[in-house]
Amino acid sequence: MKKVKLSINGMHCASCSANVERSLKTVKGVKNVSISLMLKKGNVEMEDNVSEEDLKKAVARAGYAVNSTEKV
Amino acid sequence: MEGDNEIKEWKSKLIWAWLLTIPIVLLMFSNRIFGFMLVNEKVMLISTLILAFPVVFIIGWQTIRIGVRGLVTFYFNMDSLIALGTIIAYITGILSFFELTADYSGVAAMIMAFFITGKYVESIARGRASREIMKLLELGAKNARVLRGKNEMDIPISEVLVGDVIIVKPGEKIPTDGIVVKGESSVDESMITGESMPVEKKVKSPVIGATINQDGILYIKATKVGSDTFLAHIIQLVEDAQGSKIPIQKLADSITRVFVPVILALSILTFGNWLYFTGDISRSIGIAVAVLVIACPCALGLATPTALMVSSGMGAKKGILIRKGEAIQTMKEIKIIAFDKTGTITKGKPEVTGVVSSVRENYLLEMAASVEKLSEHPLAKAIVNYANLKKYNEVKNFKILRGRGLEGTIGKNKIIIGNSALMNEKKINIKKFESEIDKFEGSGNTCMLISENGKSIGIIAVADAIKEDSIRAIAELNQRGYRTVMITGDNQKTAEAIAAQVGIREVIANVLPEQKLDKIIELKKEGMVAFVGDGVNDAPALKESNVGIAMGTGTDIAIEAGDIVLANGSLTGVVSAIRLSKETFRKIKQNLFWAFAYNVIAIPLAVSGTLHPVVAEIAMALSSITVVSNANLLRRKKI
Repeated sequence: MKKVKLSINGMHCASCSANVERSLKTVKGVKNVSISLMLKKGNVEMEDNVSEEDLKKAVARAGYAVNSTEKV
Repeated sequence: MEGDNEIKEWKSKLIWAWLLTIPIVLLMFSNRIFGFMLVNEKVMLISTLILAFPVVFIIGWQTIRIGVRGLVTFYFNMDSLIALGTIIAYITGILSFFELTADYSGVAAMIMAFFITGKYVESIARGRASREIMKLLELGAKNARVLRGKNEMDIPISEVLVGDVIIVKPGEKIPTDGIVVKGESSVDESMITGESMPVEKKVKSPVIGATINQDGILYIKATKVGSDTFLAHIIQLVEDAQGSKIPIQKLADSITRVFVPVILALSILTFGNWLYFTGDISRSIGIAVAVLVIACPCALGLATPTALMVSSGMGAKKGILIRKGEAIQTMKEIKIIAFDKTGTITKGKPEVTGVVSSVRENYLLEMAASVEKLSEHPLAKAIVNYANLKKYNEVKNFKILRGRGLEGTIGKNKIIIGNSALMNEKKINIKKFESEIDKFEGSGNTCMLISENGKSIGIIAVADAIKEDSIRAIAELNQRGYRTVMITGDNQKTAEAIAAQVGIREVIANVLPEQKLDKIIELKKEGMVAFVGDGVNDAPALKESNVGIAMGTGTDIAIEAGDIVLANGSLTGVVSAIRLSKETFRKIKQNLFWAFAYNVIAIPLAVSGTLHPVVAEIAMALSSITVVSNANLLRRKKI
């Protein structure tokens, strides 16, 4: 298990953060997602084999962009 | 700061949108305003279409793009509704060329302009909501003046290493966590602990990064840097909390998820229905657009996070860190507050208060301190400090008897130190000290008995002073009707004496460290329990309780286990944390109520055709602004 913190661009409403959360949860190996609309940040807990690229793709699929990632 | 950029972005959009929309409004209403048409109908239609185009498709491009994308990929959001509403309205303008519908293209521009205005005001309100948190994020020092070799040099904070000696002049920020190696000063720690009184620092005092040195020059050896510092931990904790879920938000969240598709369907139904019954396509479109733009998942979605944000900020200022949003909701159900004694109610630094000896006192202390020197227990340290020996005797066969005492051999003499339970266990007669023990324990001291070769030779009484504000905090909790309970490893008599001094009514004594958890489980059968504690062995109890309140001056592990962390280790923080939680929860409930009520009233109004699309959009914008502003009102509450 590992944890990554994401900074996400473009989220400006509650359904935005819900979309990002929904999309990230469909990534195989992702266990826990919590997105803060206010801070435009998210915490993702996932299996070790999930790459940051996978997360970025998932965020992009929902229509937003990952600004930066940080391992926790 | 990102929030500022967002505000700026909306502001410039707002200016441009209205520059183009105001002429449209004048054209549309010229008949009513000036009593005559400014231009003929064809010219008016063309100019409206020309003016509205940039408002919707250029200034509103981001909204249109994300919205349409959402419609295609099924990741619907707020923008999808606005995009669909404005695009449909704009298209009617083109259709009206062929006299198929009335022209709503001006309305499209007005909807977009009001949407942008709403977002602008909302972004300001949201910026205000996160003000304190943003301040916290930027609290850290940027540079440090380190001493390398004989040179003083200014380096960026990221280059400071553990072990570097940092020079901090009066008025300067202490760059990172460390320990004073030279100098004396007082330090303002209020930004971290909420404690307004400056704290005196001298050699060996620990200092916290981001606090402000007041009057002397301090030389500080860095002990923690980067993400290991106290401030970094606080920031991490507060940030993580923002994403944590509060149970009451669940319903709103599940509504938010299906909200947009439901509204889309409703809008289509409304359109079909109106068209079927009235045959008036223009009116049906207008009403369908009103339904699209009036519905607002934002108010529902913002209700909880904004209140939590404001609350976290208010708490952080006072040294109350909310780690789990859930605690805010659970707090109002709490009936019992259980306290760990050492380090929570008391200072956690026991001191020797009396020695009774049947041998030479120096001999007693020499024996006791030599054995205790090998233990890390706070009581042991108190004795070692008190004895203050120059040389310690060699101890063989040293053994820690967990929760009871110690034993070891010095020379040929077997020394056992511990509580009366241990003496009974070892069949050592302590009769001659019984009355002294009674006296000490009756006034809140803990007695350690010392025996040599199976014969008791003396007692050392140790007491742990009560924190100044414990009494006040507990009195307030009692007055509010909480059941206050103290859990301690002390024996019944000592524990009761201390409990009486601070005003705690119930005592659970003789609890071994690993039994604390069981005691919490037992208490939980009688009602919801908040546990206040520090120390490594409190972590399981903190986790098990309904709300775990960790004293932040304690160890990192306990902080990890707490739902709420008190950075300044004062029990008055418990009172404030309870008040803050309750006020925040009330605010969240209010917000959710308004957000629900708004949608429940507004959507049927739009469906029934009583609202003009522009009025619908204004109502929508107001609903999210109301929720965020209401969250900001939380600041007025005193905590």
